[in-house]
Amino acid sequence: MTGLRRAKTIPVLTALVAGLLALSAGPATAVGSEPGGLQTLIDVAEPGDVVKLEPGTYDGGITIDKPLTLVGQGWPVIDGHGEGSVITVVAPDVTIRGVVIANSGNRLDQENAGITSDLSPRIRIIENRFQNVLFGMFLRHAHDAEIRDNEIGGMDLFIARRGDGIRIWQSSGAVVEGNHVANGRDSVFWFADGITVRNNHVEDGRYGLHFMYSDGAVVEGNVLERNSVGAFLMYSTDLTMADNVFRSNRGPSGYGLGLKDVDGLAVSGNRFVENRVGLYADNSPSRVDLYHHLESNVFAFNNIGVLLGSTVARNIFTGNAFIDNGVQVASDSTGGLLDNEWSYRGVGNHWSDFAGFDADSDGIGDIAYEIDNLFTDLVERYPEIAFFTGTPAAQAVDMASQTFPSLRPEPILTDDSPLIRIPAIPPVPMPAEATSRVLVLLASLGLLLAALVVMAGGRFRLSEQLVTGGTP
Amino acid sequence: MIRVEHLSKAYRRKVVVDDLSFSVEGGEAVALWGPNGAGKTTVIRCLLGLVGYEGLIEVGGVDARTHSKVTRGLIGYVPQELGFYGDLTVAETLALSSDLRGLPRTRIGEVIEAVSLEAEAGKRVSELSGGMRQRLGMAVALLPDPPVLLLDEPTSSLDVTARRRMVSLLDSLRGPERVLVITSHRVEEVGMLVDRVLALEAGHLVHECPPGELAGRLNLESWLHVVLPSEQTVTALAHLAAAGFDAHENGHGVLVGVSPEDKVSALGCLREGDFQIMDFEVWR
Amino acid sequence: MTATVTTPGFSTPRVFELRPVTVIARKVVREASRDRWFWLYCAGFAVLAGAITMTAVPDQNLIGSGGFGRTAASLVALVQLVVPLMALTLGARYLAGERDSGTLVFLLCHPVSRTEVLVGTYVGLAASMFAAVSTGFGAAGLFSALRSAPTDPVLLIRLAALSWLLSLAMLGLGLLISSTVKSASTALGMALFVWLAVVFLGDLGVMGTVVATRLPVGALFATVIINPVEAFRLASVVALDGSLDALGPAGTYAVDRFGDGIATIAVGVMVAWTVISGAVAVLAFRSGDQT
Repeated sequence: MTGLRRAKTIPVLTALVAGLLALSAGPATAVGSEPGGLQTLIDVAEPGDVVKLEPGTYDGGITIDKPLTLVGQGWPVIDGHGEGSVITVVAPDVTIRGVVIANSGNRLDQENAGITSDLSPRIRIIENRFQNVLFGMFLRHAHDAEIRDNEIGGMDLFIARRGDGIRIWQSSGAVVEGNHVANGRDSVFWFADGITVRNNHVEDGRYGLHFMYSDGAVVEGNVLERNSVGAFLMYSTDLTMADNVFRSNRGPSGYGLGLKDVDGLAVSGNRFVENRVGLYADNSPSRVDLYHHLESNVFAFNNIGVLLGSTVARNIFTGNAFIDNGVQVASDSTGGLLDNEWSYRGVGNHWSDFAGFDADSDGIGDIAYEIDNLFTDLVERYPEIAFFTGTPAAQAVDMASQTFPSLRPEPILTDDSPLIRIPAIPPVPMPAEATSRVLVLLASLGLLLAALVVMAGGRFRLSEQLVTGGTP
Repeated sequence: MIRVEHLSKAYRRKVVVDDLSFSVEGGEAVALWGPNGAGKTTVIRCLLGLVGYEGLIEVGGVDARTHSKVTRGLIGYVPQELGFYGDLTVAETLALSSDLRGLPRTRIGEVIEAVSLEAEAGKRVSELSGGMRQRLGMAVALLPDPPVLLLDEPTSSLDVTARRRMVSLLDSLRGPERVLVITSHRVEEVGMLVDRVLALEAGHLVHECPPGELAGRLNLESWLHVVLPSEQTVTALAHLAAAGFDAHENGHGVLVGVSPEDKVSALGCLREGDFQIMDFEVWR
Repeated sequence: MTATVTTPGFSTPRVFELRPVTVIARKVVREASRDRWFWLYCAGFAVLAGAITMTAVPDQNLIGSGGFGRTAASLVALVQLVVPLMALTLGARYLAGERDSGTLVFLLCHPVSRTEVLVGTYVGLAASMFAAVSTGFGAAGLFSALRSAPTDPVLLIRLAALSWLLSLAMLGLGLLISSTVKSASTALGMALFVWLAVVFLGDLGVMGTVVATRLPVGALFATVIINPVEAFRLASVVALDGSLDALGPAGTYAVDRFGDGIATIAVGVMVAWTVISGAVAVLAFRSGDQT
C-alpha cells in the first residue's frame, strides 16, 4: 500500500517519461496514465496487441473486449479508486501480467473484483498483485484459464463481508498454480471440470478451497492454513487430493478437508495437522460401487483426526499415520465405522496410541488396534457429553472402561494390521509456522525469572541489621 | 491499666469464665492463681482479644473488643505453649515480631541481651532448649517495651535452675508504670513475684488478697502434688474426694490440699486405693 | 533495659493495614519456599509440563512445525489436575498447620487483625502459586524453544495467567477449609475431597444427569461453568481454539448465546470464586475462637 501511495506522487513525471518511451518503442507500446488513458490505449489497440505499462498509476474500471496482452514492467498500478471492478474482461485470449491491481469497490452484491471476466476462454492472469480488492478474480466461462503466481490480498473486513480470492465458474480445464491468497473469504471452483489446483498457499480465509460440481480436479501440493475450513469438496467426482498441507484450520464446525457427496476420490500424501477435525466425510462415496482410497496421509495433533458421518462406508484407510490426535477417529453418531476398511491387503495404519506389541518384528502389530473409548461412545449416544472433552472426568471414564471390560463399548473400528512404525511418507515442502523462537525463549525465561523474584521476595531480609541493634 | 468487668466466656456450652471483675493499676504485679481449668489462660486470651467474650475489658483505657489492635500493641505476651517458626533463627523471629508491630529493628539486640540469648541469636528456634525458647518468648514480649506484660505459666516447663533465672528476670521487669499479670498454679511462685493474688476456681474469682494471705484464705498450709498415671487421675480424684480431701487435677497427677501436720494421710489414702504413686512433691 | 513505661500516644490503627499484610505474605512465601511438598509439586508440575512439550515435538519432515495446540491442550489437562490439588492442599494445610504448631497465636498476639493475618496468608500463598505456575509454564516454554518446537508465546502466557487465576480460586477454598476446621489433618482430608469434587465428581455427576435426563444444553453449560476448574478449562479452550465449537451441542449453544463473552464469563467465575471464598474465609476466621 505504501508503494502504491508513493507511485501516486509522481504520475505526471511518469506520464512524460512513458510518453517519450512510447514514441521510440513503436506502435505496440502505449502510455495512458492520464485519466481514462488506459481505457483509451485498450480501445485503440488491435486484437492481439501487447500493451505495455510503465511504472505509474493508471485509472481502473477498464474493460478489455478484444484479445490483448497487458504487461506491466516495474509494477504499474491499476487503481479502481474503490469503485466497481478494476478490470473487466469480455474477450478470449487475454493475458494480464505483472501489474498491481488495487482498490476495487466493496459491494458484495455487485461482486466487485480485481479482475472480473465473462466469456473469456484461455485468459491468463500471471504474476500480478491484487491489493485491497473485494474479490481477487471472478472468472465466468473462462475455459482453460491459467492463473499463476499471483499475490492476492483481500480487504480488511469481517470475514463474511469479504469477497473470494479466486472464484472460477463454469470454466473447465483451468490451471491455478503457485498463487498466494491471504485474508480472502473463499477460493471457489464451481462447475469447473478438469481443473488443476497446484502449489497454492491459501491462509486466513474462510474456505481455503471450495469445490462444487467440479469433476476430475487434481489438487496437489497446496498449503491451506488457518482457514475456517482448509478445503471443502462437494458434489464432485473423480478428484485427486495429493501432498497438500492442511494446517490449523480451526473454524467453528471447520475441517482440514471436508467431503460431501464426493464420488471417486484418491487422498494421499496429505498432512493434516492441528485442525479442529483433520478429515471429515459425509456421504462419500455416495455410490455403492465405489471405494475411496486414503493412503499415506498424516493426521497429527488434530482435535479429531478423522470424523466420519454415520452412513459413511467404503473408505479404505491404509498406510496413514495417526499421531496424537485428541480423538484419532470418531463417528458423528452411533453405529461405528466398521463399513470402512482400516487395513488393506495386510497394511493397516500407524496409531500413536497403539498399546500392542510386535513379537515377530515384521512391523505389524500382533494384536488388532481398536477404538473402543467409553467416553467417545457416550458422546456418540449423548452428543451433549462432548462438552466434557479433555476433562480429567472424561479420562476417568475411559480408564474405568479399560479397567472393567464390562463397561467397554463395541469398538467403532478395528485395524487388524496396525503399523508399529510411522510409515515412510515422502516429504512435502511446508512453510515455517509464524512463531519466533526468540520470543518463546524470552517469554519462558520471563516466567522463570518472575517465579524466582517472587520466591526471593520471601527471604524478607530478616538477617539484616539484627544483632547490631543498640546495646545501652 | 487493666479493667475487667463482668467478664464471661463460654466455649460451646461450657462456661470457662463466669462474671469475673478485677482491675490492675500501673506498677502492680498480680497473679491469676488457680488449678488447671480454673480459667486463667482464657482470661489472658480475652485480655489479648484473641477470643470473643461478654463483659468489658479495657487496657490502658481502650476497649479490647473494639480496638484489639491497639490493646495488643500495649501488651507483651508470653504464652504457656510457645509457638515459633522452627526454621527462623532467634534474631529472625524477633525481626518478624518487630516488623509485625511496625517497630524499628534496633531494639532486637537489646532484648536479646536482656534475656541472655546473645550466643543463640543465630541459632534456629528448632535447635533451642525449652528454657531458651521460654527466654525467646520473653524477648518477643519485651520487644515493644510494653506497659502490660502477660505471662501464662512462665515457669511451668522449666527446671529448677531455669526457673530461678526466670523468676529473677521477671522481678527485674517490674517498674513503676508496668503491669505484670502472671498466671500460675503454684502458690510458692506466686508469693515471690506479685503484690496481689486473684484466686480463680471454675471461672469464678474466689479470693483476692496479698500473696501471704492466700494460704490462710484457702485454709491450707500446703499442697501435695502426686504424680499418677494419667488414666488413674479421674478415679483418684473421686477416691480422694470421697475420703474428704480437697483434690484437683493438675498436670500429670493430682493436687491435694493438706494440713502441715498430716501430709502423709493423703498418700495413704491413695495407696489404699491401689493407685500407682509415681512421684510426689510438697508445695507451700 | 529500661523498665520505665511511657503511656504511648497511639493513634487508632485501622482494622486493615497493608504493612502487616506484606510482612505476613512475605513470611508465607518464605515458608512455602522451605516446604518440601511445595517443591515436590513445583518439580512435578515442571517435569510433567516439560515432558509433554518434549514428547510432542513432531518430526519436521513428516508434519512440518505444527503441534503446539495439542501440547497446550495436554498442558491444560495437566493443570486441571495438578493446580487445584496444589492450591487446595496448600491453602487448607497452611492456616490449620499454623494453628497446630502454635504459630498462629504468635501472629495473633501481635497488634494485627485476623483479617490482616488471613489476607496476608492469602497473598503469600497466591505469590507462591504464581511462582509454581510460572515455573511449570516457563519449563514447558523453555523446552519447546530449545528443541525449536513451535510455541505461541502469547498463548503460553495466557494459559499461565489462567492457571494462576484457577489457583487463586482454589486457594480461597483451601483457606476457607483452613479457617473453619480444627486440625491440619482434617483440613487436608477436606481439601482432597473438594479436589475430587471439582475435578471429577462434579463433571461425572453432570454427565450422569445428561445420560439420565437429557439435561437441556443451557442448564448443562451453566452447571458446568460454575465449577472453577471447568471455567479454567473453557477459558483455555477459547484461548486455544477461539471458540467452544468443538465441544458439541452445549459448546455450540454457548457460542450462539454468549459469543465472545464465554471467556469473560469463565474468568468472571474464577474471580467470583476467589473473592467469595476469600471473603467467607475472612468472615469465618474472624468469627472463630480458634487460635
